[in-house]
Amino acid sequence: MKPRFLANRRDALKALTSCVLAPPLAAGALLGAGATDVWAAADGVSERTLSLAIGGAVTTIDPHFYSNGPNNSVARHFFERLVGRTAKATLVPELALSWQAVSDTVWEFKLRPGIKWHDGKDFTADDVEFTIKRIPNVPNSPGGFAGLVRVIRKIEVVDPLTIRFHTPNPYPLLPTDLTNIGIVSRHVGEGASTADYNSGKAAIGTGPFVFKSYQPGSRIEMVRNESYWGPKPAWSKVDFRIISNGAARTAALLSGDVDLIDAVPTPDLQKLRQDARVRVSETPSLRVIYLTLDRSRDSNVPFVSDRDGKPLPTNPFNDVRVRRALNISINRQALVDRIMEGMAVPTGQWLPAGLFGHNPDVAVPAYDPEMAKKLLAEAGYPNGFRLTLHTSNDRYPNDAMVAQAVAQMWTRVGVQTAVEAIPFSVFSTRVARQEFAAGLRGWGSGSGEASFVLREILTTFDASASQGTNNPMRYSNKALDAAIAETIRTVDDVKRETLLRAAVKMAADDVGIISLFMLKNAWASKKDIEIDARMDELTVSSGVRMVKG
Amino acid sequence: MIADGSALGAASSTKTRTIETPLRRIVREFSASSLALFGLFVLVLVIMVAIFAPAIAPQNPYDLMQLDIVDGRLPPGSQSMAGMTYWLGTDDQGRDILSGILYGLRISLGVGVASAFVAAVVGASLGLVAAYAGGRAETVIMRVVDLQLSFPAILVALMILAVLGKGVMNVVLALIMVEWATYARTTRSTALVERNKEYIEAAECLVLPRWRILFRHLLPNCLPPLIVISTVQVARAIALEATLSFLGLGVPVTEPSLGLLIANGYQYMLSGKFWISFYPGIALLVTIVAINLVGDQLRDVLNPRGRS
Repeated sequence: MKPRFLANRRDALKALTSCVLAPPLAAGALLGAGATDVWAAADGVSERTLSLAIGGAVTTIDPHFYSNGPNNSVARHFFERLVGRTAKATLVPELALSWQAVSDTVWEFKLRPGIKWHDGKDFTADDVEFTIKRIPNVPNSPGGFAGLVRVIRKIEVVDPLTIRFHTPNPYPLLPTDLTNIGIVSRHVGEGASTADYNSGKAAIGTGPFVFKSYQPGSRIEMVRNESYWGPKPAWSKVDFRIISNGAARTAALLSGDVDLIDAVPTPDLQKLRQDARVRVSETPSLRVIYLTLDRSRDSNVPFVSDRDGKPLPTNPFNDVRVRRALNISINRQALVDRIMEGMAVPTGQWLPAGLFGHNPDVAVPAYDPEMAKKLLAEAGYPNGFRLTLHTSNDRYPNDAMVAQAVAQMWTRVGVQTAVEAIPFSVFSTRVARQEFAAGLRGWGSGSGEASFVLREILTTFDASASQGTNNPMRYSNKALDAAIAETIRTVDDVKRETLLRAAVKMAADDVGIISLFMLKNAWASKKDIEIDARMDELTVSSGVRMVKG
Repeated sequence: MIADGSALGAASSTKTRTIETPLRRIVREFSASSLALFGLFVLVLVIMVAIFAPAIAPQNPYDLMQLDIVDGRLPPGSQSMAGMTYWLGTDDQGRDILSGILYGLRISLGVGVASAFVAAVVGASLGLVAAYAGGRAETVIMRVVDLQLSFPAILVALMILAVLGKGVMNVVLALIMVEWATYARTTRSTALVERNKEYIEAAECLVLPRWRILFRHLLPNCLPPLIVISTVQVARAIALEATLSFLGLGVPVTEPSLGLLIANGYQYMLSGKFWISFYPGIALLVTIVAINLVGDQLRDVLNPRGRS
């Protein structure tokens, strides 16, 4: 069966409510532009200014220069994507009305008619072609989106509202990947540099807000796009500020300085929940916090020794019984309750329940220290061994604290664990050089489906084929590799999800990574304001509306 | 040799008939200030508590087997699952704050004393050499000292730790490298005055070996100011170690010193869980104030000019 991704509202709503987040399949008449809501409707349009503060630093207005949460949040106000993503990570039509694979290796996108750029010119397929070609060629980009469009070998503009992308192999994830690509115009973008976007000269998009000013590291001001094609945002102006200190952000909200903050510090959550003036909005995040065990060596693993400090003759992590023991000796519920203060959900995989590829049959590993001791004894470590768990101390919420709690639990079953917490910049370089035995890491599945982790983290590392690019622990499981390769080739959604779930189960049984929990994202706002809490951590003003306090 | 200098001073200042040994005089003059005595009492108490921490602490806060995150962030006076009372509450890992403070004092005092002592040896030696040798050696040593002192201590320590990595020994090393310059400068200025005195000339006339003149004649007479700055430097080293740990560059997270305990509790200050930072902060404050009280009085007692 050849899939057809015809978007329609009923499917989108169904997917939203039931949380079955497979891209809506097949059938149904196309609905008009106004009917397919990308932005879950605003209650009313007002002349109010929305003042909000986020924790991460925005480094550019150029939507293709550097991909990180804060930049992508801001870019979403001015620039739109062909395919949008709802707060719950479902794909919805945005600048494209529909998309379908016209052959195994060709995707066709039909564009939404009547869209105008902020300067009044018409949006056409030519702008899309310009955007895709610009992405790999942004000068000095420290980390852009080139990886997401590398698979596009040829672009074919069929007519002003139809564009085709040719890929070398069947590639079912193209629409998913394109949810990250903000479309810029050719007429102002040609020859424009990142500096031109930052100054506002080239910051001409089709989005619900129009650029007004940008002060690096401090604030971005924008006004409502009065001729926006979709539902008008509730706010006539948005004052988008950056307050990196968590306590200061909370204080700014409580003092009334801002209406909304993101990344609410976990220690402040309880107080904010009890505050009658504040509304807290949360959602499961796409980010999993997990542990990796070194598999790159057969012996002399650094930071591992027996109880007397002598090196072990073999790599204990090569034994699946040891990996299982370490996995089930962790009390995930205690981590979530005591360290994360409820801002996480225990997991044994890497997606929130209900997302594409999440396997409901893979349960959260049960906490069983006695069984763990037994497994360690069976594997030849009746007295356990010693190891050092490395972690960053400035990247993920409570990262160093989580590592210490895990060390407690491992020590209790006999694996004496020390913790070394270092800044993320140092941590990530040393991880990439296989300098650690065990590490605490995080991964956000921006695609909203299971294959991202499988491809990046659990596939055998192969530099020449760009495979397993985020697999510095060098986990390698040939059977799993084959299963992953098959899922990536499979275009049919139903079949692909079955295959994905099987692969997830396989990875969980083999304890490829030790998943701890899925983070939750939290925003706090004044009582009369509500935000669509997005799984992808982005703060988007068009999803903010006024409600009765 | 210290007897020579001090006895001269003592003879000129005291008009009593009984001959007072310098040590007795120091004890008597030190005891004149009840505040200093109190400081000394507190300091001795702190040192004893630190030394006997394993015996008196209700928990070994560095043994992960004894911690349980289920007991995390309990307020002072709470009972643990096993029935033990956390008199000063617990931190996020379920670590007894009281035990954490007792063990933390060990690290703080150990680091402070060790680094101040080694820095004193290194700094004083270089200062003496600079003062006595003069010329090129003096220029080189003193310009390095100037260079070192022109940077804020915390910045230098951060740079050194960034290179060396974390760990208690590395913190000690960093503190030594930060502190030796102060000793070198003080010693040199005192030694410059002393080396022109007659007893040095006398020693030189006897053609004593240089090292003997340096360490047996010159050094003892430079000691009083060194003792005074040593006390101040110990306090400074403790504060600096706490700062480094607070910034996450000092001791390992599973073996917190006072600074790291304070850092752990810092983010809970707004949410009312004050005890995690508060009590370690008080312990740090009391220790440093006690050392400074003692140091202040020592300065008055050992400074010939300050004597009436």
